[in-house]
Amino acid sequence: MDLLIDSCRAALILLASGDEELMKIVFCSLRVSGAATVIAAILGLPLGLLIAFTVFPGKRLTLTVLNTLLAMPTVVIGLLVYAFISRRGILGFLDMLYTQEAMIVGQVVLIVPVIATMVIAAISRLDRRYQATALTLGADRLQMAWMVVVEARYAVIAAIIAAFGRVIAEIGISMMLGGNAKGFTRTMTTAMALEYDKGEFVLAVALGMVLLGLAFALNLLFQLFQGRVASDAL
Amino acid sequence: MLYELGQVTRVHNGRKILDIDGLAIKRGRITALIGANGAGKTTLLQILAFLDTPTSGQVSFLGEAVDFRAGALLELRRRVVLVDQYPILFTGSVQRNLDFGLKVRGVERKDREQRVSQALEMVGMGEFLHARAEKLSGGETKRIALARALALRPAVLLCDEPTANVDFEHQEVILNILERANGEENISIVFSTHALEQAERLADTLVTLKGGRLSRLSRVNVWPAMLDDGPVAVIAGRGRREVRLALTPEALVGKSGGRVNLFFDPEKLRLLPLSEASDGQRHLPATVVQLAADEQRIKVTVDIGVPIDVYLSTGEYGKRPPCIGEQVLLQVAAGALTVE
Repeated sequence: MDLLIDSCRAALILLASGDEELMKIVFCSLRVSGAATVIAAILGLPLGLLIAFTVFPGKRLTLTVLNTLLAMPTVVIGLLVYAFISRRGILGFLDMLYTQEAMIVGQVVLIVPVIATMVIAAISRLDRRYQATALTLGADRLQMAWMVVVEARYAVIAAIIAAFGRVIAEIGISMMLGGNAKGFTRTMTTAMALEYDKGEFVLAVALGMVLLGLAFALNLLFQLFQGRVASDAL
Repeated sequence: MLYELGQVTRVHNGRKILDIDGLAIKRGRITALIGANGAGKTTLLQILAFLDTPTSGQVSFLGEAVDFRAGALLELRRRVVLVDQYPILFTGSVQRNLDFGLKVRGVERKDREQRVSQALEMVGMGEFLHARAEKLSGGETKRIALARALALRPAVLLCDEPTANVDFEHQEVILNILERANGEENISIVFSTHALEQAERLADTLVTLKGGRLSRLSRVNVWPAMLDDGPVAVIAGRGRREVRLALTPEALVGKSGGRVNLFFDPEKLRLLPLSEASDGQRHLPATVVQLAADEQRIKVTVDIGVPIDVYLSTGEYGKRPPCIGEQVLLQVAAGALTVE
């Protein structure tokens, strides 16, 4: 118990001092996960809309595959992307392994299904009359889709926040594709694992506090948007 | 013709919910679709709005066959607007709602502002421009939905139960809006309703649907009656006046008594002066209450206790024009009456 209390006290001092290494790790995490979330939203949102609005053979199977991908362990994604970008992989010439770009690719793969499935769920919950109204008022398919996204905006934003929460806290992809290189690819989670291995708890606890604080802020935001969704539904 | 439908069917989950052999809807008119719940009114309106695709059959719009493939419908949809029975407004202001259809058509901002304010004035809600759509009452929502449609100046306005679930005051306003849209803006209107009085007051043409099919009985000249011994059909007329009508055995085939509907075919009814009563024909004393020109014919409404329309050709009318208030005999020949 003393160990935890001492570590917490030291971690708070470290946080208050604005330790350079701590800040580098936090910013690396935010940069990688932020970029991954933006790219995944650009890909996942249209994918979700396309699946939600289109009737095609195998739609159920597609939804099942997407739902399965939600449960995919991060180490499996890490392994899969590694197979493509390692020197022997078909994208080995890009020389991406152990870079922030590689981590971003892995994290995008992780959360595109999260955003797509949540967008599909949000569109399915939305009153069908929005689509019919937009169409009868003369909207084409794209204008109708945009109107539907605007009407489901809180649920869509909640999906993006949930996706960011997923990637900021993951460790498997960052470790396998980033390599935990100090100052380059060391994120909060990989740094915590390393510090734990070294028996150095102060930095690990401080990072844990930042991560928890971030998770709390995200959940607050998530609840705020979910609340708007619920109140809109009333 | 505005619309022509031939052999149109719509099957949903293996059940045929619409089956129309032939239907023509005229341009510039108000057409009412009448029928009970599940009669197929909404499905027909969805097809007329190009929002639903018939399972089989042909639909033509303004003389051209409609291609129901998705890419071909945008231009047609921009000439026809459907106002739902429970219209949904987009979240935000009333202005945003009225702007939407104009924006997607690429109408300039200045023009949009003018058309939005004109449409709101038309529905008597000019002061609601900046109101939040979600704060409106049911009647106000319907009027804003009508304004949203009228702002687009469509060729056809389709309304599904426009006066359902609104109070009497809003009902009157909505009916007046539809009348003005047709009369002043020359917009063809097709609306569905349960209320026969509304349909008769507003519509030039009534179309009755029953179980997804066009009912042989147009609602005009259809009156419920009780079968009495004799056999006689008894219609409960105004002021407790009973209208008794002797029926032929052929008319009663398959009927076992009780409640029936009598359809007086307006094309086959004849009006005679009181002096020309002849034996062997059914005659009912009637008073001429209304005259109206309807293209190539004259519609004469007579009162026999209930109003009955009789169509006269211009030739027939010219030979002996009836006058309002005149006492006449309504001749109901064998083929002029159907018992359902």
